[in-house]
Amino acid sequence: MKKSNSKTSRGLLLVCLLFLLQSCYSVRLKSINGSEQPDPVSERTDDYRNMTVMEIDTVLTIKATTSIPTFLVKKNALCKSGQLHTVEYRNTLGSVLLSAVTLGRKRKMKVKYVCVKPSN
Amino acid sequence: MATTIAHPKTKWDTLHNNGPFPLKTLYVTELAGDGNIPAKIDRYNDVAEEIQRLIKETADDNEGFRAYGSRWSMNNIAHHKDRMHYNGFMNIHLPIAEADCHDDTTYDASNLFLFECGNTIKEVSKQLSAHGKSLKTTGASNGQTIAGCISTGVHGSALDVGSVQDYVVGLNLIIGPNPEDVVYLERHTKPALNDVFASKLKARVIRNDGLFNAALVGLGAFGFIHGVVIEAEPRFLLNRYVKKIDKNIALKLAETMDFKNSSFKIPEETDEQGNANRPYHYKIFINQYNDDLEYVVELMYKKPYVVPYEDPFPVIKESLYRDLIHLFVKMAENFPKSIPWLVRRLRKTILPTVNEELIGTVPEIFWDAPYQGPAFACSFGVDHKDAPRTMKLLGDLTKKEGPIPGIFAMRFVKKSEATLAFTKFPITCMIEIDGVLWKKTRRIMSVTEFSKRMIETLQQNNIPFTMHWGKTGNWTFPGLVAHMFGDDTVNEWKNYRNGLLSEDMAKLFSNDFLETTGLSEKNLDDTDDWIVSL
Repeated sequence: MKKSNSKTSRGLLLVCLLFLLQSCYSVRLKSINGSEQPDPVSERTDDYRNMTVMEIDTVLTIKATTSIPTFLVKKNALCKSGQLHTVEYRNTLGSVLLSAVTLGRKRKMKVKYVCVKPSN
Repeated sequence: MATTIAHPKTKWDTLHNNGPFPLKTLYVTELAGDGNIPAKIDRYNDVAEEIQRLIKETADDNEGFRAYGSRWSMNNIAHHKDRMHYNGFMNIHLPIAEADCHDDTTYDASNLFLFECGNTIKEVSKQLSAHGKSLKTTGASNGQTIAGCISTGVHGSALDVGSVQDYVVGLNLIIGPNPEDVVYLERHTKPALNDVFASKLKARVIRNDGLFNAALVGLGAFGFIHGVVIEAEPRFLLNRYVKKIDKNIALKLAETMDFKNSSFKIPEETDEQGNANRPYHYKIFINQYNDDLEYVVELMYKKPYVVPYEDPFPVIKESLYRDLIHLFVKMAENFPKSIPWLVRRLRKTILPTVNEELIGTVPEIFWDAPYQGPAFACSFGVDHKDAPRTMKLLGDLTKKEGPIPGIFAMRFVKKSEATLAFTKFPITCMIEIDGVLWKKTRRIMSVTEFSKRMIETLQQNNIPFTMHWGKTGNWTFPGLVAHMFGDDTVNEWKNYRNGLLSEDMAKLFSNDFLETTGLSEKNLDDTDDWIVSL
């Protein structure tokens, strides 16, 4: 009986921990100038409806001597102007812990961004 | 060369999810890069040829074709079940030089600009600002394309200015696949550009007031609007105030538009005699579920552009959780009696902050819309003298036969010269109820049924009215368009359309909306004489 209680408690703790690691918040930066690059084929129904959105969900591995890694925004089909309009950054407890445990060498990056609509 | 990708599709929807509607093919065209074709005018003409190629391809397959921009209309006016063309990437702009102007023009060349169809109001404003200019008015928002705005008669609340189409002075249309099917229209009594400029667009010139006014609010039925020549004005500032005032005073102002002799005054906005100045913009917000003795009103006064002025933008813009809006909709559908309570809870989000004061340019004051999810808006135009009576009738209807998840607002717009402009009264009061889109249940009627009841109520009370072409409505209501505009006006519009377009092209540029409203019908009149250049 005691053993099964302890198993349940450990299970609950694990669930809570997983939940905590996933707990997150997002912050968005948006330029008041320029328009977002549209995506007429998109069927998104979130805040990015009608927009071409780049989504990055990766872990950057950097040298111990690197301070801030710079992710370069390049001109391509999803970013025709090569200029940023909106950036949404998501942070989780898990990503903070990952960076702390690896002494900053692994950095979780979860970002959505929209580029400026190109003008002719 | 301009390039087009044809995407096979099965459905298409508006930005506010008022569909979905069936679709076969979605064309997306992009202009040639400036590295390949350096001159703007050459890129403009190059993409015109591409549009003609698409029109030919569509006609050869005996299908229909319709261009759209930002999908802001809340019905199927921008839709075609066969082929649709997204023109948002077609956003060239060209300032007009004095040498491009007609000898008899009364326009100042420095205020004239040609904008390609896919420029949004935000883009237009940005380009104009770079020249120290401003749009005269907008649709109190910035996401619509210039071609979409004029096709449906988008308006703000500029009571002495008008709607977006009212500062358009020239239209460059593509009405078919042949070289002579590129036309440039303007008023013969108020020409803007000369034939030399039109020849640069490879366009056939037709100067004809009647044709121009018919094509101005053309509902997408006069061909592909490639470019729009607008008259801008020197950049100006707007002082914006939000006040709570006695409802009787607010409605009296709506009825009389006599701000000078009103007891309502903003101390900073009076003349030397102490009388209230006439505002540039006046809007009344009405929560029909609340018996408050005061209404929230928004007023704006036009001021010369001087810098510096206080930044009108907040540091942080907050928006409601989408899940909360979804919950609101579900509650409205299943427990409609809770709607007045829900509206009260959300009043801080729905209504502007009372006593808020801002100063800014047109694009700063009318910035990005905060909510772009599923929504409805039923919008009726009445003579401003009928505004209080209409508001009472529609408010009572909404309470009695609803409730409906939205609140009313009244805006005021100067009469348009466009033949089918819904702003047809000397000053039209646009009474609009807008809110979140709901689904019909056994407890709440559908938005189309609600619109039908509004139409019936206005007809029963003999109030002449129009409806906003781009808004939600019961467009299948029998004889609706003839009731709104009269048979003569409707026939005149049809005659100009049938005169301009060949029979094949009239069919190609028609759609379900035009058929439903009876506007695609071919008149029996001989229309060749209607489109002569005068």
